[in-house]
Amino acid sequence: MTLNYTSDESARELRSRAIARASIYVFEAPVRLWHWVNALAIVVLMGSGYLIGSPLPSMPGEASAIFTTGIIRFVHFSAGYILTVALLGRLYWAVVGNVHSRQLFRLPLTSLRWWSEVLFELKWYLFLERVPKKYVGHNPLAHLMMVSMFLTTLVFMIGTGFALYSEGAGYDSWQHLLFGWIVTLAGNSERLHLLHHLGLWMMGIFVFLHVYAAIREDIMSRQNLISTIINGERAFKDDEP
Amino acid sequence: MFDHDDSFYQVIRRQGVSRRSFLKFCSLTAASLGLGPMVASKMAYALETKPRIPVIWLHGLECTCCSESFIRSAHPLVKDVVLSMISLDYDDTIMAAAGYQAEEILEETKARYKGRYILAVEGNSPLGNDGMYCFPGGVPFVEKLKSMAADAQAVIAWGSCASNGCIQAAKPNPTQAVPIHKVITDKPIIKVPGCPPIAEVMTGVLTYMLTFERLPELDSQRRPKMFYSQRIHDKCYRRPHFDAGQYVEHWDDEGARKGYCLYKMGCKGPTTYNACSTVRWNDGVSFPIQSGHGCIGCSEEGFWDRGSFYSRLTDITQFGIEKNADEIGAGAGVVLGAAVAAHAAVSAVKQVSDKKNKKNKDL
Amino acid sequence: MTIQTPNGFKLDSAGRRVVVDPVTRIEGHLRLEVNLDDRNVIRNAVSTGTMWRGIELILKDRDPRDAWAFVQRICGVCTGTHALTSVRAVEDALAIKIPENANSIRNIMQLALQVHDHLVHFYHLHALDWVDVVSALSADPKETSVLAQSISSWPLASAGYFRDLQQRLKSFVSSGQLGPFKNGYWGHPAYKLPPEANLLAVAHYLEALDFQKDIVKIHAVFGGKNPHPNWLVGGVPCAINLDGTGAVGAINMERLNLVSSIIDRCIEFTEKVYIPDLMAIASFYKDWLHGGGLSSRSVLSYGDIPEQANDYSAKNLLLPQGAIIDGKLAEVHAVDVRNPQEIQEFVTHSWYKYPDETKGLHPWEGVTEANFVMGPNFKGAKTKIESLDEGGKYSYLKAPRWKGHAMEVGPLARWIIGYAQNKPEFKEPVEATLKALDVPVTALFSTLGRTAARGLECQWAARKMKYFFDKLVANLKSGDLATANTGKWDPSSWPSDVKGVGFTEAPRGALGHWIHITQGRLANYQCIVPTTWNGSPRDPDGNIGAFEASLLDTPLADPHKPLEILRTIHSFDPCLACSTHVMSPDGETTRVTVR
Repeated sequence: MTLNYTSDESARELRSRAIARASIYVFEAPVRLWHWVNALAIVVLMGSGYLIGSPLPSMPGEASAIFTTGIIRFVHFSAGYILTVALLGRLYWAVVGNVHSRQLFRLPLTSLRWWSEVLFELKWYLFLERVPKKYVGHNPLAHLMMVSMFLTTLVFMIGTGFALYSEGAGYDSWQHLLFGWIVTLAGNSERLHLLHHLGLWMMGIFVFLHVYAAIREDIMSRQNLISTIINGERAFKDDEP
Repeated sequence: MFDHDDSFYQVIRRQGVSRRSFLKFCSLTAASLGLGPMVASKMAYALETKPRIPVIWLHGLECTCCSESFIRSAHPLVKDVVLSMISLDYDDTIMAAAGYQAEEILEETKARYKGRYILAVEGNSPLGNDGMYCFPGGVPFVEKLKSMAADAQAVIAWGSCASNGCIQAAKPNPTQAVPIHKVITDKPIIKVPGCPPIAEVMTGVLTYMLTFERLPELDSQRRPKMFYSQRIHDKCYRRPHFDAGQYVEHWDDEGARKGYCLYKMGCKGPTTYNACSTVRWNDGVSFPIQSGHGCIGCSEEGFWDRGSFYSRLTDITQFGIEKNADEIGAGAGVVLGAAVAAHAAVSAVKQVSDKKNKKNKDL
Repeated sequence: MTIQTPNGFKLDSAGRRVVVDPVTRIEGHLRLEVNLDDRNVIRNAVSTGTMWRGIELILKDRDPRDAWAFVQRICGVCTGTHALTSVRAVEDALAIKIPENANSIRNIMQLALQVHDHLVHFYHLHALDWVDVVSALSADPKETSVLAQSISSWPLASAGYFRDLQQRLKSFVSSGQLGPFKNGYWGHPAYKLPPEANLLAVAHYLEALDFQKDIVKIHAVFGGKNPHPNWLVGGVPCAINLDGTGAVGAINMERLNLVSSIIDRCIEFTEKVYIPDLMAIASFYKDWLHGGGLSSRSVLSYGDIPEQANDYSAKNLLLPQGAIIDGKLAEVHAVDVRNPQEIQEFVTHSWYKYPDETKGLHPWEGVTEANFVMGPNFKGAKTKIESLDEGGKYSYLKAPRWKGHAMEVGPLARWIIGYAQNKPEFKEPVEATLKALDVPVTALFSTLGRTAARGLECQWAARKMKYFFDKLVANLKSGDLATANTGKWDPSSWPSDVKGVGFTEAPRGALGHWIHITQGRLANYQCIVPTTWNGSPRDPDGNIGAFEASLLDTPLADPHKPLEILRTIHSFDPCLACSTHVMSPDGETTRVTVR
């Protein structure tokens, strides 16, 4: 049986628990840790990245004594490394962790059932469905967004980010070896800067939607969301199937 | 009298240059290229034994700034390049011959030096109007270019026109001008971009090829790594002000007078691969940033179409409108914010009414 | 059959047709076709610009503050003059006033260009029309030394110096690889210099090649590089900082010293090398006074080098402004570049299309649409042209006219106008030169006159550089360090619909840019450049332009080696990349600019 993260599977998982109104351990500790490290890194990256594109007003004094843009860039690069290492760790955990730890990295694109529930969730968001379904992991629409908008943008930003970094690190650096082809693919450095900058806004839009949807679903869906990413437990508000 | 070919060394010996000063010349040239004394002796050997290599310099659609830059070379002096290092057999800007006597030289070179001459191209060829937006000699330039490239040993693309298309290929490219690699596909091409390239970079690339009898190491865009592997920003003397966060905010402000970083004035140094901040211009006198103006990125492909030279962020024109990334992001953010606010409001109403319904049901 | 043109020339296209293509030692691509009579005298001349790049079309909808960089790429030889014209046009449209220092620096840069361009033109593009390099091989170095010392105190003039040089030349020639001197018209009967003078000229050809690279360091100091230095709407980009923190890197004492020393060397080189050479060469050619063409009839100059900043009226310009028509030197007409009735461009014989091709259009209203068609007497195929038909369309140059007159522009035009206006700065050197050569004033209207005027102007420009350098220093002394006015830098401070015009005197002659700015963007950009005036094809009335007129009645010693044609055409210093242009103003702007 292929894994497709639909409501059927959630129901099955719920049924496997003896007690009704189950609270299920969904997000294991490393996943939760990754989420918050990631969130922090992204906020730092967005802020510092914006300031690299549009710097602060000039600093007075001797250049030898100050390092404002230098620090902002240092913070940006450090956060970028943390983001990257965290993603690598997260990838490892997807291999060894529970079934929900893998949800971010696979889309059941061939499952009609899954697609029909994507549509269902879309209708729910458009107020065309009155009662939402229960999900242990991400609901199918959220799942789709997580992979197509978040993971893709994340990988894109890491790729273009290291490609930009490789320009400074030079042709002999490992960054150039691994990411230099992205500079070539982009055509030139200026276009690469532009794409990376557009990625900032894409990520910003994701963060905004993500936070909004989490709060809304926490209130309106049949399961809690916010506490899940804190303590890992998915609690449900009713016993209906 | 004209039938034998002499080496550079034989020629300059006959011209009364002593072996001692010849070797001195070699080491100076080697030093100017950033190469060590071992290389100088190699250079001396090369110049002693080889005849001057014929160079055919063609001009397509261009402004002649590359030729003008070339003659500014301080080391080596252009007179020494032309009289003693290469045999510049065709260059319509400086050659004595004109008309059919000039065109004859092209055919003669093809026949006599087949596979042994360097083709240097300044400018590019328009493909529109059957190539007849440029027809020196009454035929499309593109034909002349292809014909001379067919028997060349290597091709040098001088400047941004030949390398990237440059100004005439800027939007909307009325003449359909294309860089030379679009029409020469079977020869090694060395691109020396810039509008124009730095004089000593031009002569440096040429003398490297003569000395080492090979193409210089090239990057993925076929530019010589020795001059184009780093950005102007990477070696800019104003870099400490960039890192410190000290910028020129307006022309001729205090920052401008103190030599602060021109980043906010739109300087393209951070995205431009060239040797300006190290080799500098006109015998090392200055380069654009040193004289107070940002880099305009003239050695980068498509630099005319990236928005104003004075804006930090690139313009995006794909949607028929012109905005930079921040404007697009902010625009999307506003639209999204409004949509989310509306969605949240409707959600709140639904939530309240659902609760009321539930309450009613419970009662 | 002989045709009389309205501007007074006889054309006869019955004789044998000779084609010179490419014309070398110019900027860009030029083709010439002439008809010879049975005594090999030119009776009809056709000048064709064979390239078109469409730069003005590319400028449409661009930021006006960027325009200087685009138009600067029109030409890398007269580099900077288009950029200066452009920033003046934008400043005119937006009423931006530049600081005095910026005016002085711009003048120094423009004059440095004049000196460089004239020097390179004389020695490297034009000299080989007068100087036989091969003849120099048989010169007596001692005699050359005597000759050199008799005309100048320039120190590089010993017999040993010339002997070494001759040795180098001999070895070069005997290597069999003649390089750029290959296939020249060596030994041609139209070469008149004795071997010693040829050797002297070749020596100075090489010295000038070494020196020219230093002249442009002035551009590098103020504009960061040359070719194509940087300019700025509202002033100049280089800031001045004489003794404050961070003065290193700005314009400071060291930079000023560099500029000053180069100016001194420019003055020395023109006075001790260029002018003596010019006079020596001219003295051997003063019987060859062909090539006058339009110069004795109609000449035009817009004027340039403003004494005070921001005043472009004739009285404030050091290079004269005015127009002379029908050879009436006593009457110099005022020129108004804004008047739609004065400057107009025609396309009857140009590869462009107008709605009504019998009428000319002022550049503010200029239209251009390429239209590559040939007249009925054209020979060859579209992509293999044998000979063109001047009865139809035959050039990528338009035909500009001033009040309907074809005009010659350039150093000779400027000096004739200055002479006619009795300005001592121009009249005295001209009279001294004529007297030294013992020729009448009519000798001015010739190929030689054009070449001589360029030399005189080079000397004038070198001295004026010194003048403006001193003026700059005096202003700095008074405490004024300003180099840019940024009050109207932001496009939001601009009116929504304005027109402007900028003009300069480029090394090759009168240059104008006409612009139209709407909503902060360029709606139309039109240039009329010197070589468009000089190399112009015919207009609807059949008036011929300066190139064509200058070639008429010149005898060729050997039609296979048309040295005389090159000599006369080179005396104009043609620049073809400059002269071919287009921009269509009728297309509606589709851009939505969101700020």
